[in-house]
Amino acid sequence: MTDNAGTLSIDFLAGFTIFLIAFIYVATLIPGLFIGLQSRTIDYDAVAYRTGVILVEDPGMPYNPSWENLDDYHKGEVLRFGLAVSKDTPNILSSQKVDRFFCTTWTYPDDYRSRVIFGNYPYMFNISFQPAGSNLTRSIGDDPPDEYGYIRRVVKIKGISNASIDDSTIQTYKFNSSDNVTTDVFSIHLNFTNLLEDEPNPAYQINPYNDQIMVNVSGMNAKVIPIPPITAPLPTNLTAIQICRSKPISTNLHPPVVCFANFTSPIVDNNQVDLPYPIENNLSLIIPPGFITTDLADANTQLYFNLTFDHYNAGILSEEKGYLNSTGSGPFEYNYDPKNITLPKLQDGVLEVSVW
Amino acid sequence: MVNDTGQLYTIEGIAAALIMLFSAYLVLSATSVYTPGDTHISDMQLEQLGTDALRMMNTPINSSSAKSPLQEIVETNNATYFNETFLNYVNNKTELKTDNLHYSAVVTYRNITNGNTTWNYPLSSNRNLTGGEHPVRVTEWVLANIQAGSNVKQNRAILVEVLLWRD
Repeated sequence: MTDNAGTLSIDFLAGFTIFLIAFIYVATLIPGLFIGLQSRTIDYDAVAYRTGVILVEDPGMPYNPSWENLDDYHKGEVLRFGLAVSKDTPNILSSQKVDRFFCTTWTYPDDYRSRVIFGNYPYMFNISFQPAGSNLTRSIGDDPPDEYGYIRRVVKIKGISNASIDDSTIQTYKFNSSDNVTTDVFSIHLNFTNLLEDEPNPAYQINPYNDQIMVNVSGMNAKVIPIPPITAPLPTNLTAIQICRSKPISTNLHPPVVCFANFTSPIVDNNQVDLPYPIENNLSLIIPPGFITTDLADANTQLYFNLTFDHYNAGILSEEKGYLNSTGSGPFEYNYDPKNITLPKLQDGVLEVSVW
Repeated sequence: MVNDTGQLYTIEGIAAALIMLFSAYLVLSATSVYTPGDTHISDMQLEQLGTDALRMMNTPINSSSAKSPLQEIVETNNATYFNETFLNYVNNKTELKTDNLHYSAVVTYRNITNGNTTWNYPLSSNRNLTGGEHPVRVTEWVLANIQAGSNVKQNRAILVEVLLWRD
């Protein structure tokens, strides 16, 4: 006898097959709808690119005074990191900004995330910088996992200017006292008008507000020793560094120089020292970036740093002749003359950002 | 005697075949496909790197340097210097292991004495393009003091064009 039990099975089989096919088809279509949104790697790459642009092409915020000059007590005022010298010089990084960015006062990842990565998602990241020809890589963050977004930027880092005054410079410019004096004064002149206008390109400019000013003097006793009778130079102290300025105005083109402050804790021989400070034959004075503010000197100011040296014999102020002194010759000009100054030089480097 | 037993087997067979076909389709569609969006990202990374490299080559190292390395290269047609400098820029990383990129550079200029036409000549390359690569194009305008088709040297705007690719 024939019955129709098998027909039911075939209907079920056909219906289930069609359902399964439709289900598989729809299931495979759904991921395709989100293909432009679901790729985390693409998102990470975009964030890495954005971070690279902010670091390499932006000077950061605040800009004036620049964020890298804010001390640790004011680091909360830094809104955005940016390593570029200015917005007009993409890929040219400031060495001071790089130093400040990689210094240990910032906490990874929180301090960096809110100032350079941005976004609500808690991205992790690694930012590395290496100057060309150096094996020393400066880095923040952890090692990246297998999958991460990445960008590499080729940059140049702006070096710092410095003045090297040796015994031949001292003799050429007659930077020594011709009389017996107990106190010698050597003056360093920063002409802000010339410094800011003679080189308008921020990549090569000596900017006294944001750049370190460095003066190295060697052979300070050179003129002292040969004067007969040949004796050892007297012990000498750097007793004061006065900050003086004159500011031309329309009614007075040659205004007087007024000393208005003292540089009480200068950086001498690479250490912050208190004055008086004993001086041997050499002296290295650093005026740190951010020390000169617009309150101290505006763009038309003539600023002078007057270094006062006192000579002692057995603890008593005594006369010396031929020591470093610019009273008769005029101040040492810190300007763009390559005879006076080693100009800022751009050094190659590479910066990498990894985000995951 | 004729009955419908054979029909049942045929439909089961067709259904099984369809299931197998769609299973194969599912497996194949699940394999990772390099989407156009992903390719764009790696292209962007290469473009950025090449643009940065050319820009840095066209930047003098200090204010007393009158010319950038790229200006000197174009003026003296120094392929060796370009090869060394450009590869240093694009291959250097912060880790010890360097990248391995390939390029082909061409200089293009307008020949004002020959019908004001655009001329070009190969500057340097570290591998020939065979057609199978996927290069990106980066350019940099250089102000160079060269003859470029005229009788005298004069400052001319020269286009340095580089095709850059990865193996």
